[in-house]
Amino acid sequence: MSLNDKLKELRESGIDDAKRAEHLKDLNDLRVKLLGKKGPITQALRGMKDVPKEERPEIGTLANNVKKDIQEAIEARIQEVNQRIIAQKLQEETLDVTLPAQGHKIGTKHILNQTIEDIEQFFIGLGYEVAPGYEVEEDHYNFERLNIPKDHPARDMQDTFYITNELLMRTQTSAQEGRDMDAHDFSKGPLKMISPGIVYRRDDDDATHSHQFHQLEGLVVDKNISMADLKGTLEALCRHVFGPDREIRFRPSFFPFTEPSVEVDVSCFNCGGEGCRICKYTGWIEVLGAGLTHPNVLEMSGIDHTKYSAFAFGLGPERFAMLKYGIDDIRDFYTNDIRFLEQFKGVN
Amino acid sequence: MKISMNWLKEYLPVEHSVEEIANKVSLTGIESAPVKLGTDLSKLVVGHINSIKPHPDSDHLNLCQVDIGEAEDVQIVCGAPNVAADQYVIVALDGADLPAGKKIKKGEIRGQVSNGMICGLDELGVKESLVPTAYQKGIYVFPAAEKPGADAKELLGLNDEMVDLDITPNRADTLGMRGAAWEIGATYDKKPAFTDPKIDDSKVESVNDVTINIKADNLVTDYLARTVSGVKVAESPLWMQRRLWNQGIQPVNNIVDAANYVMIELGEPVQIYDLDKLTDKAVTVEMATDASKLVLDDKITKDLNHDDLVINSGNDTIGLAGVTQGQKAVVTNETKNILIESAVFDGTSVRKAAQRHDLRGDASNRFEKGVDNGAVEISLNRVVELINDITDVKSISQILVGKETPAKPTIIKASIEHVNRLMGITLSDQEMIKILDRLGFTTEENGDELTVTIPSRRWDMTIEADLIEEIMRIYGYENLKGTLPSGNETNGGYTPQREFINKLKNVLLSEGMDETITFGLVSKKEATDFNTIDSEYTRVLHPMTEDHEYLRTSLIPGLIKTIAYNKARKTTDIAIFEQGRIFDREEGNDRPKEVEYIAGALAGNLGADTWNTNAKAVDFYDIKAIIEELLGFLNVDATFEFLPSEKIQNLHPGQTAVITADEKTVGFVGKLHPEYQANSSVDDTYVFELNVDSLLALAKKNVKAQSAPKYPSINRDLAILVDKKIASGQIVKDIFNNGGEYLKDVNIFDVYQGSNIDVGHKSLGYHLIFQNPNDTLTDDTVEKAFTQIKDSLIDQFDVEVR
Repeated sequence: MSLNDKLKELRESGIDDAKRAEHLKDLNDLRVKLLGKKGPITQALRGMKDVPKEERPEIGTLANNVKKDIQEAIEARIQEVNQRIIAQKLQEETLDVTLPAQGHKIGTKHILNQTIEDIEQFFIGLGYEVAPGYEVEEDHYNFERLNIPKDHPARDMQDTFYITNELLMRTQTSAQEGRDMDAHDFSKGPLKMISPGIVYRRDDDDATHSHQFHQLEGLVVDKNISMADLKGTLEALCRHVFGPDREIRFRPSFFPFTEPSVEVDVSCFNCGGEGCRICKYTGWIEVLGAGLTHPNVLEMSGIDHTKYSAFAFGLGPERFAMLKYGIDDIRDFYTNDIRFLEQFKGVN
Repeated sequence: MKISMNWLKEYLPVEHSVEEIANKVSLTGIESAPVKLGTDLSKLVVGHINSIKPHPDSDHLNLCQVDIGEAEDVQIVCGAPNVAADQYVIVALDGADLPAGKKIKKGEIRGQVSNGMICGLDELGVKESLVPTAYQKGIYVFPAAEKPGADAKELLGLNDEMVDLDITPNRADTLGMRGAAWEIGATYDKKPAFTDPKIDDSKVESVNDVTINIKADNLVTDYLARTVSGVKVAESPLWMQRRLWNQGIQPVNNIVDAANYVMIELGEPVQIYDLDKLTDKAVTVEMATDASKLVLDDKITKDLNHDDLVINSGNDTIGLAGVTQGQKAVVTNETKNILIESAVFDGTSVRKAAQRHDLRGDASNRFEKGVDNGAVEISLNRVVELINDITDVKSISQILVGKETPAKPTIIKASIEHVNRLMGITLSDQEMIKILDRLGFTTEENGDELTVTIPSRRWDMTIEADLIEEIMRIYGYENLKGTLPSGNETNGGYTPQREFINKLKNVLLSEGMDETITFGLVSKKEATDFNTIDSEYTRVLHPMTEDHEYLRTSLIPGLIKTIAYNKARKTTDIAIFEQGRIFDREEGNDRPKEVEYIAGALAGNLGADTWNTNAKAVDFYDIKAIIEELLGFLNVDATFEFLPSEKIQNLHPGQTAVITADEKTVGFVGKLHPEYQANSSVDDTYVFELNVDSLLALAKKNVKAQSAPKYPSINRDLAILVDKKIASGQIVKDIFNNGGEYLKDVNIFDVYQGSNIDVGHKSLGYHLIFQNPNDTLTDDTVEKAFTQIKDSLIDQFDVEVR
């Protein structure tokens, strides 16, 4: 067999072997075997001395081509085998992604605190300070400074847990008004505060009453504070909490520490004012009480009511949350059933 | 108070529906609701019983031949004990509707035809307590002849429509029809018209044989009376009866009813006594003597004391002023001569007496909220007029004056500019004056100043702000356009304490704990169980229940209660916390300090048994890990330590630590004591409590940025054998004390006791990490430090280095 033929045969069998190899190792071995220094091509070229001189370049070229072709065949096969290995690996690693995952769980903030913080953030954005108050308060701040002297019939509206004759569990966060007005330096600008917290009343606990509940008081004292300012502020609050399409309305009411006093209704967020079960077919839902601070209350803090005016409002986070989420038993807030608590994950 | 449209129309021409009026009045003045009576009633007529005979087949039924205005009488079977011939009665005809969907059908009763039913008032939906006593156990009988076949529903006032005013305490002026007419009139820009009572002068005698003595002068503003002789006590006419039961007042007799009627009409409580039962024809208004008694009826006697303002006659107490009358001088069917009292008593005194004796009622309700002292005489005269109209009395005395205080109108000045500025509106002077006129106020204008004269019926009005409210509400809040306060900018935000609390809560939430809120008032046991702050107990004076009697001294009992509550509902894997105040009272102080705390509890498992994970029962180190993470977030320089403690009651003595910051106690962590746990109906539970205010007070760390270390660290492992009573914390502290400036960290990697270890000993293994941030550490330096550490441990704790 001529050298020429021999090389061609080597090419044929080499490519054939490469194509049939199944493993990377076999291919590697094949490369060493065919293309190495001791391989058949190198061996074959040793017979070059028997080839006429003029044919030698041609044979040399052929030999290089054979090497290159085998090399390419092996490379191509390696690619193929690699592809197959990856495909197989992917196949093996395929998971049922619908299986549930178990991971670190994050706790749920109590729905009342979520509700309160949502309202706080709204008012902080309007420049209000969030003032803490005392849960044990003096009769003086809880009643007298709010224009409710001893023997005032309005005290009957709030049955009070007294600790001594002068000390009580505060019945309203309005008790903070006197303290904050006393402490505020009006030369530094207006007083704008909200005061959220726990209040107590002598009530039997049932679906709509709790002897402990929350309130959030708001108070703004400045020159030229008006009823219109109160309306605009509460309008914005109600839209923030209950939705951008809400309207509010004022109805005259009575609180000893505001004059005029109003109850504030928000247009029903369920029916949009058409009338439904939630708004008792009136289109409106009562959400809070408010008014312009009574001149006596300002004067008791040494604020000249002819120069300054103020508005105040008080709202019930329980009521807000009950309305917003359809909670129908106020006791649910305080029994802390984990299943109840966790349904409010991330609502605010 | 329910405002009857039929009655209101005597004063005010209103044509609107009750729904419309209730809505409008709610928006301009007083929260109101429409009430429509008798919507469930039909086919009720007046019947005249022409004859009656016993049912042949019954011992209690009667066959009545009743004229119902038809050509022929109809037969109705009636079982009422008080049915009799010649009565005018209510007949429910065949097909009539009665309350609760009841329908009357013509039929046979024991073989006798019955063409309907003769009714009692209660069968028409009138509350039994409002039905005149004589008719409570039977049919109602009209007090006078009515036209057979006439609409009984209308005659009985059961077709009335009313507006129910839910008044606030300041608007007691509308607790009378006249006041309500003014209010509703102002709403619709209509003035009510009233006729003043007229006394029949021919009957007035100048003889005055009754003495009135006002001793408690400070509690009585006005006390007027008249005596009337020759009254004939009987049932009231139907028009009066129906107005009373529609007001929720039971008709009694024409004398008592006249007084109640005037209270509704004018808002002034009036009392009437049997003149012949007064000792010496004298009354004295004075404070009761201690241990005196007021006999209300055969069953009820009230013990009086010196705080009670009473009406006495001789040695008898005949009434509790403004609250109720006693039995002694009550008007009965035999009464011939009466004394009528129209007075104004001190509201607070009346309120307290009514509360004290549990006798709050229509009269005390009005006195405590205030009555118009300009209507005392008119009310007195109106009662006299009514009684004379109804019973044609013999004679009437002149007005007997116990005390009289002239009713003065209130004058309030208001600035037009101030009203507009406070409301944020721009009403003209004329618009304001017009609104005030609608309310019946007269106004004089002088430049910017309005001088407004307010009649005594609006005694709630005292200051400019009251006037502003009146102008605004009648003008209409719907006309108010919302604005935001236009003053200087302010910086809003939380207090540093609240910011800190928010941060702590966020860490615990990220640690997987749910937030709870429990009660600040707890039982005595709960106030005692975890009183680690050693506070005096603070108790409320009049608790509603023993469960909520003391102010809490710890948040832990609330958490345990929550765990027990959830366990009872099959939720046992629980991680919860609460942030709130506890009340720390020192002996000698009434007022407790309010200290912010944060507390948490773990129970059950962490994680869950699922297809690829396993649940793990929580242990001490799970809750400790949470606390360490929390403390790590404080950003403070303080050194925190967990010191073993056997002394916290109700915690496991071997699994409890007091937590200190720079050697000051800031809280504790531990497992519940097994006995306490069992008594609390919970399983293994781990709790911690931290004083937020103490943590907040710690000095903040001054963080300065440092590049990540450029030089490698060198590690050494240290294994020691040590007495098992020695806490790892002590070892680590000693290692740090002796490790030199390059000792960066000490991590325990092994704790072992058991076989191969001497009894009473344990083996501990630590990784020690040394690092010099500024240079490459040499083995020499580390070895020196390591030797010093080992030497100290041997010296201090007699350890064996392995």
